[in-house]
Amino acid sequence: MSEQIAFWMLSAIAVLGALVAVRKRNLIHGVFALMIFFAALSGLFLLLLAEFIAAVQILVYIGAVGILLLFAIMLTERVTGDDGRRMTSRGWFWGLVVAAAVFVILLLPAIQELPPPEAAQAIDPSVKELGHKLMNPYVVTLEVLALLLTAALIGAVTAAQGVRIPKEEDSSE
Amino acid sequence: MSLLGGGIFKGMAVTLRNFVGSYFYKDRLTTNDYSWRPSDKLPQRAGEYPKEEGEQLRDTTTVTNYSRNFPMLLHDGSEPMDTIRCVACQICERECPPQCIYIEKSTEKKENAGGKPQFFPATFDIDVSVCMSCQICVEVCPFDAIVMNSQFELSTPDRFGGLLLRRDDLLKSNGYYHKIHPEEATARDKRIAEEKAAKEAKKKAAAEAAKKMAEEKAKAEAEANEGTPDMEENTE
Amino acid sequence: MSLDLIRDILIATVPLLVIFPTLFAFTTWLERKALARIQNRVGPNKVGVPLTRYGGRFSLFGLGQPLADGIKMLFKENIVPRDADRLFHLLAPILALIPAMLVLCFLPLEFPWTESLLPVQAFLLDGAVIFFFAITGLNTLAIFMAGWASRNKYSLLGGMRAIAQMISYEIPLVLSAVVVVMMVGSLNAAEIANAQADWNWFVFTPWGLAAFVIFFIASLAEINRSPFDLPEAESEIIAGYFTEYSGFKFALFFLGEYIAMFAISGLAVTLFLGGGAGPGVAALPWLSTVWFIAKIFALIAVMIWLRGTLPRLRVDQLMGFAWKFLLPLSILNIIVAGFAWHAQQQASGILKAIIWVACLLILYATAKGLDQLNRPNVRPREYKYAE
Repeated sequence: MSEQIAFWMLSAIAVLGALVAVRKRNLIHGVFALMIFFAALSGLFLLLLAEFIAAVQILVYIGAVGILLLFAIMLTERVTGDDGRRMTSRGWFWGLVVAAAVFVILLLPAIQELPPPEAAQAIDPSVKELGHKLMNPYVVTLEVLALLLTAALIGAVTAAQGVRIPKEEDSSE
Repeated sequence: MSLLGGGIFKGMAVTLRNFVGSYFYKDRLTTNDYSWRPSDKLPQRAGEYPKEEGEQLRDTTTVTNYSRNFPMLLHDGSEPMDTIRCVACQICERECPPQCIYIEKSTEKKENAGGKPQFFPATFDIDVSVCMSCQICVEVCPFDAIVMNSQFELSTPDRFGGLLLRRDDLLKSNGYYHKIHPEEATARDKRIAEEKAAKEAKKKAAAEAAKKMAEEKAKAEAEANEGTPDMEENTE
Repeated sequence: MSLDLIRDILIATVPLLVIFPTLFAFTTWLERKALARIQNRVGPNKVGVPLTRYGGRFSLFGLGQPLADGIKMLFKENIVPRDADRLFHLLAPILALIPAMLVLCFLPLEFPWTESLLPVQAFLLDGAVIFFFAITGLNTLAIFMAGWASRNKYSLLGGMRAIAQMISYEIPLVLSAVVVVMMVGSLNAAEIANAQADWNWFVFTPWGLAAFVIFFIASLAEINRSPFDLPEAESEIIAGYFTEYSGFKFALFFLGEYIAMFAISGLAVTLFLGGGAGPGVAALPWLSTVWFIAKIFALIAVMIWLRGTLPRLRVDQLMGFAWKFLLPLSILNIIVAGFAWHAQQQASGILKAIIWVACLLILYATAKGLDQLNRPNVRPREYKYAE
C-alpha cells in the first residue's frame, strides 16, 4: 500500500517535472525541472530496491549532467528566454503520432501481461554482485567505455588548449 | 629538503601559540575595551565613544610593532613642509598597483631636509578606499619619504572626501614613526645614516682625487709651460 | 505501513534533526571564540543568560551569543532584490539545507535508544557511502541557484566558482574514499565502521593516512571552508552567492554550511577514524555515540584552526592543487593500496613492516615530487619605474 502511494507520487512528480522542463522558456528553470525529474526517477529506482542505480542516478544525472547543462547554459545568451514568442513547428501532428507509437510499443509487454522472464528473478541487486558482474563477464565492455571516455577527456583538454602561438623572442623581457 | 606542508605546520604552531598565550598573558590582547557598558548611554554618533586625548596613538602602539595600514609621509623636523623628505619624483604614483596615489609636482624648488633646493609635492593624495596596503610605494621610494602608518580608526561619514587623505593629513614626523614602529624606524635611520656617510666618504674621496688630479695636472702644465713657452704666446 | 515502522523511523531521524542544529549553535560560538583567541582577541563575551537584565552579570563566556544571533536573524527584514527570481531566491537556502540534513542519516551514528529498532537506518543501505557522495553533490546546485537567482554579478561569480570548485574536489574526495571501500569490500557505512574495531583504524595504514589527508583537504573545499572559501570570498566578491540574502534565509545557508561540516567530518570519522570505536566501548555501548561526536568535533577543531592560520587560495592555485596534486596522488594511492594489500596477505611479521614503510615512502616521495613539479616560477616583484 505505502509502496503504491510512493510510486504514484513519484510518477506524478516525474511526469510534471518532465513537462515543465519541456515547456519552460527559461532555460535555468527548465534545467532545474529536469533535475526534479531525475530525482523522482531515482526515487522510483529506490522503490525497485535498486539502491546502487538510484545513487548513481543522482550522482551522474543531477551531480554531473545537470551541472554540465548549467555550465553550457551560462555560456549562451538570453538565458531567461522569450515568453512572447512561440516556437511554431509544422510537423506537430506527425510528432504526436510517433510519440504515441513509441509509448504503445514500450507498454506492449505490460499490456499483454506476459509472464516475467525467468532471468529477471535471479538478479541479485546488491552492489557487490554488480561489481563482480562488471569486473568478470563485462570487463571488456567496461574497459572499452573507459578508453572512450579517456579519449574524450584528452580530446577536450586538447581542444580547450587551442593552438599555441609561438612567442616572439623579445616578448620574454 | 624541507618537509612537505611544513609551512602549514609552522603557521599552525604560531596560531596555537597565540591561542594559548592569549589566555595567560593579558598584554597579548590587541583589542582594548571601549569601556561601554549596557548601563551606559548608547553612543549617538560614530566616534562618540569615550576616548581620552591621544588615545588613537596609544591604541596603535598596542597593535604590534609590525602592523601596517595605510602609507604616510615622513618629515624630519617640527615644521612639516620645511623638512619634508618627498621630492615629488612620482615613482610611487606610477608603481602603485591600484593607482590610488595622486601627486602634483611643485613649480618652484624649495630647500628641504637635505639642505638642497628640491621640488616638493604641491598635492599628494592617497585614496584609502582604493589603497590595498601592499607597501610597494614604501619599497620603491628612494628617499625614505613614505612609510606605513598603523592608524586604523579612519571611519568617516563622508565616503568620498573623508577617505581621501591629503598631503597635510599624511605628513607625520619621524618621531611618530619611531613611536609606532620602533625597530623598523631605527633600522631605517641607521641605513640612511650609513648611506649618507658612505656618500660623503665617496664624495670626499672623489674631491680628494679631483684635487690630486688637478694638482698633478697643474704640475704637469707648469712643467709643460716651462718646456714650451712659445705655445702660450701663440694662444694669446 | 505499520505503525511500528513509522514510530521507529521517527525515533531514528528526529534526534538527528534536534542534536545537530543544537551542536551547530554551539559550534558557531566555539568558532568565534577560537578565531578570536588565535588573533589575540577575546571574542563574544557580553551576551549572557537571557531574561536577566542585560545578561551582563552572568555572561558565561558569551554562550548566549548563538541564541541572540538566532533571534536577530529571525526578526531581520527579508530583502529580495527587485530583479531577482523570487521563487528560486526562496528555494535556494532550503535546497542548501536539505541535502546537508539528509546525508546525516548515512553516518553510522547509533544512539542508545536506536538499538531495539527495526532496521530502518539508512547507513545499513548497501550503497550508503555512494549515496552520501551523491547527495552531498546536490549542495552545489543550491549554491548555483542562489547565485543565479540573486541577479547580482558577485552572486553569480560566487555560484560559478562554487560549481567549478566542487566538481574539481569531488574527484579526489571520492577517489580517496575508494581505497577504504576497496579494503573493506563494502559500501555499507556500518560495515566499514565495524571493520575498524580493535584500533584497526584505516588512518594507521600508509594508504589510509594518505587517503585521510587527501579526503580532509578535499572536504574542506567541498564545504567551502577556509582556505578554500572562494565562493564566498569577502575581500573579492562581497559574500559570494549569499550576497543578496538576509534574515532567516541567510541563517538557513549558515545552518546548511555547518551541518555539511558535521556530515563530511562524520564521513571522515567513519571511513578513517574507526567510527564510534574507542576505549571503553565494549563495556559501555553508549560510549560509541560519544566517541563518534567527539571525533567529529576534533576534526572541526582542526578546521577552525586551519581557518585561523591559512590565507585564501587564488582560483588558479585552487584548480591546480586539485588536478595536478590531489588527483594523481589519490590515483597512485589506490594502486599502492591494492599492491600492498595483496603483498601483506602472503607476508608476515617483519616483511609486513617493510611493506608498510615502503608504501609510506613511495607515497611521500610522490607527493614531494608532485610538489616540486608544480612549484610556481616565482620571482621577486620587478619595478618598472624605480631603479
